[in-house]
Amino acid sequence: MSLMYGKYIEQCLYQCSSDFGVRIVLFILIMIFYSKVSYAQSKDSCNYELNGTVLDEDTKGPLAFVLIKIKDTDQSTITGFDGRFQFYQLCEPNNTLILSCYGYCDTACEQHHKHGKTPHIYLKKQVNVLDEVTIEVEKPEDLGTGSIAKEEITKEELNENPFQTLASAIADVNGVTFTSNGGNVQLPVIHGLYGNRVLILNNGLKHGFQNWGTDHAPEIDVMSADRITIVKGAAGVRYGPDALAGAIIVEGDPLHLNEPFKASVGTGYQTNGRGYFGNGEFGEGFKNWSYHVGGSYNRVGDLNTPDYSLTNSGKIEYGANAGLRYKIENLDVNVYYSYVSQNLGIYRTALVSTGESLSNAINAEKPIFIEPFSYDISEPNQVIDHHLGRVEADWWYSDHSKLTFRYGRQLNRRDEFDVRRNEEKPIINLDLITNDYQLEWKHPDWKKLDGVIGVQAFTQNSDNNPGTGTTPFIPNYNILRYSTYIIETLEKNQNTYELGLRYDYENSNVRGRETNQDIFRDQYEFSSFTASAGLTKRYSDHTTFRSNLGMGWRPPNMAELYSFGQHGFKIQYGLLRYYYDDEGAVRTNRVTQLANANIGAERGYKWINEWESDRKTGTYTVTAYAHYIENFIYDRPFALRGTIRGPMPLFIFEQSDATFLGTDITWQRSLNETLQGTLSVNYLWSRNVERAEPLINQPPVTMAYELKWNEANLSIFKESVFKIRPSYTFQQFQAPRTVTPLELIEGSVEIKNDSEIFDFQDAPNGYFLIELGWHFKIGAFETGISIQNLLNSRYRNYLNEMRYFVDEPGINVLFTTKYMFNSKPNTR
Amino acid sequence: MKKVELLSKYGLMAFLATGLFLASCDNDDDEVVPEEENEEEVITDVKLIFTPRGGSGTVVEAMAEDEDGDGEGGLIVQNAITLDTSMTYDLTFEILNSLESPAEDIGEEIDEEKDEHQFFFSFSNNVFANPTGDGNIDANGGSEVNYNDSDGNGKPVGLQTSWTTSNTVVSGQSFTVRLVHEPNKDSNNAAGTGETDFEVTFVLNVQ
Repeated sequence: MSLMYGKYIEQCLYQCSSDFGVRIVLFILIMIFYSKVSYAQSKDSCNYELNGTVLDEDTKGPLAFVLIKIKDTDQSTITGFDGRFQFYQLCEPNNTLILSCYGYCDTACEQHHKHGKTPHIYLKKQVNVLDEVTIEVEKPEDLGTGSIAKEEITKEELNENPFQTLASAIADVNGVTFTSNGGNVQLPVIHGLYGNRVLILNNGLKHGFQNWGTDHAPEIDVMSADRITIVKGAAGVRYGPDALAGAIIVEGDPLHLNEPFKASVGTGYQTNGRGYFGNGEFGEGFKNWSYHVGGSYNRVGDLNTPDYSLTNSGKIEYGANAGLRYKIENLDVNVYYSYVSQNLGIYRTALVSTGESLSNAINAEKPIFIEPFSYDISEPNQVIDHHLGRVEADWWYSDHSKLTFRYGRQLNRRDEFDVRRNEEKPIINLDLITNDYQLEWKHPDWKKLDGVIGVQAFTQNSDNNPGTGTTPFIPNYNILRYSTYIIETLEKNQNTYELGLRYDYENSNVRGRETNQDIFRDQYEFSSFTASAGLTKRYSDHTTFRSNLGMGWRPPNMAELYSFGQHGFKIQYGLLRYYYDDEGAVRTNRVTQLANANIGAERGYKWINEWESDRKTGTYTVTAYAHYIENFIYDRPFALRGTIRGPMPLFIFEQSDATFLGTDITWQRSLNETLQGTLSVNYLWSRNVERAEPLINQPPVTMAYELKWNEANLSIFKESVFKIRPSYTFQQFQAPRTVTPLELIEGSVEIKNDSEIFDFQDAPNGYFLIELGWHFKIGAFETGISIQNLLNSRYRNYLNEMRYFVDEPGINVLFTTKYMFNSKPNTR
Repeated sequence: MKKVELLSKYGLMAFLATGLFLASCDNDDDEVVPEEENEEEVITDVKLIFTPRGGSGTVVEAMAEDEDGDGEGGLIVQNAITLDTSMTYDLTFEILNSLESPAEDIGEEIDEEKDEHQFFFSFSNNVFANPTGDGNIDANGGSEVNYNDSDGNGKPVGLQTSWTTSNTVVSGQSFTVRLVHEPNKDSNNAAGTGETDFEVTFVLNVQ
């Protein structure tokens, strides 16, 4: 990832040594490929800006009077008392900085760049030799998504709640929410879409898990993440077919070189579910290698709504991760491994079996099955192990070009248990192996074009393990995908233009069993182009407009095609497992071959625009999008199926064309120096345009206001941040009509293939929640206290599949603390 | 300097070779078929067998079946229960999974796990002389049922129950059997706890 001028530096060393004698010199090469904040360019081509801060590596204090020169120019400046420096009217976006001052030298850290902050350059006290330092301002992940609205969650924000899932950790991002199956299984939703339409990139790899249904969440330990980026537009060109609606990019520790030893341990407790948590991590960066090791454990018992206990809602999760980076000359090798283990309880109350009890359960104020609090997790539950291993090598074979090779392998073992006579046997037992091979060439600038060309191969093999005592719910399958893509960006005046094109070919081989144990097989292929075009226009230093038109696609997943039978509280039929007879009734006596079925890949066209105005008085961000999806696949209630257990809800997958229109508005305003308010509103209108009816399970309109009060010194509490966040979620006004189980049992409403979509229950009422938080530092302790659902409101969430049966958890007081061990001097 | 040049020259090849090596280690693309599973959970046939006591009278059988499990075909109740007046019957069951071949006897399994199962009954009020009332499925325990068996804890199971009809002729009444897995047998509302393995309602005639 880094770049060095081997030859040049050597020449320079001599020159500098003779010029400066014992004076300390630092060469800093700044690569700015696509940094949105570090420079700004205006009409005149010699109008790049560059600014940053020089800090003491040990004390992190600013260093004044550091002389900074730009190589090959006569421009120079001296840092101010705050360590800041600024250059104007630079002719090149990429500049080499030469830093010098007495008493500091030898090394500097790589730049710890984050959006919205200027580069920080760390200097180390040592009077010795000279060295070269590479600064990375480059964010290669940006390529291909630079013109798409995105937001970032930092480690500090993630640390505030160590108990949460990946999906809930990002749910405060405007336009993002989650769909869930109880408290432990939560899937991120971006602009109304989830599952295989939101790609989860786990340390450079598509997270390889059983990504189907609303009851399988990505097995990612949020505490292992250093940063999570949410891309809100179609990012398929860069990331592949699944990024139809957006992408969630989870990155582990960046493994900076030249970083002193750091270590921390943290613990936490939450009152609701009496959850406890512990984690620890340590790492160090040397001159040409670095490492990082982390681990965490958390356990939560049964959660409580304001009125009753949610029996079997506990979980146990633990994970470990380790990263190692080694840099030799211009080759940068990075190895990463992570392991996550989960045992997730599924609300016991959701298991109802007779029509009467279903009807009762759906209409009940309280679930029928309530037991006293317990940490025990019994059936139904999910036990999952996820291993991820990755090797990545960046080879900067010349000044402005590199080759990146990435190989990843993931093993996902999933056992699901159900309440049944053979409950010691899993009812679903799947092993999924995912392999990823990626090769990417960042080519040298060519006619001002900056870009990457890549090829990828991706394989998945999912097998049912024998001994479940039930017909596999989804078949065994192998997927093989080859992809190639090109992304080019062009900087011109204040604007960036971006174009991307991708081609994917995917081959699937499927082997399954019908309930009579007959074997069925299928082999099919999907292939498609993906394209995107984007523009980033900088009207001034304060105002930016981004627009991106992205096309994306995805093949139907295995559950959408082949699922069959009881899963949780419902019976599910996949697209190839049912058909309508002449009378419009559902038939299931055969498995249709894909080639003979009228089933297409989902194809989406998403146009997303973002207007951002960033001034001292306030920041406005307005995002508006339109998304049209052909062959949109959705799961819908269809009937009550009479079984020997009594009537059960039958859900079927359907395919139709759908439109999504929405906006996310964020208005941040500084009320005074320490007080900052942020109002966010998001609105989504969606409709099944082919069948002219509503879509089910779409996020309702939400509004939130966050007031933050920063107080640097409050007696012994340093860096205090108080936060209050009231939010209101409206009732989903576009929900389908309601047909109750009783109406279906009595036959007063008849459902056929052309009947309008319905739901078993009205969409829950709107609700008002307040969240409070206080985070502060005392010495080496970083501590946080927060209260969720402060008013202990009784509410149900429309996007929770358990909404039919239970309320959401009530008030929760969360306490976390983290001890940072003092960094010791870097010994090398 | 030499080192750098060498690396530049051979680095790319080494780089690609590493990739190919890693790629070639892949041997998990075998295309296996899921193994055949015994559908241990599925109940397709429930047969009620009313055997009259004392040698006289005829054995009455009533059957309900759901041939394809979770498939399109729903539950079909084959026939009504037609009992004689003023007769005491012992009720037993034949519970099968006929998706298996030969059909699996689920009744045996229930017998092995007696403490985890209980049959509950509901019927038109006072259609029997003994037990009276309308059965024990109601929310608050309802009326008693004559269980003739018990589990290891002395709690009722219901694989064997006894029923005495009155001397009144009735027709078109109802008789419901619910088998519950893991009920809380101590609960007032035992029939409402645990999970229902099956629930079948028959038409009941006494003539």
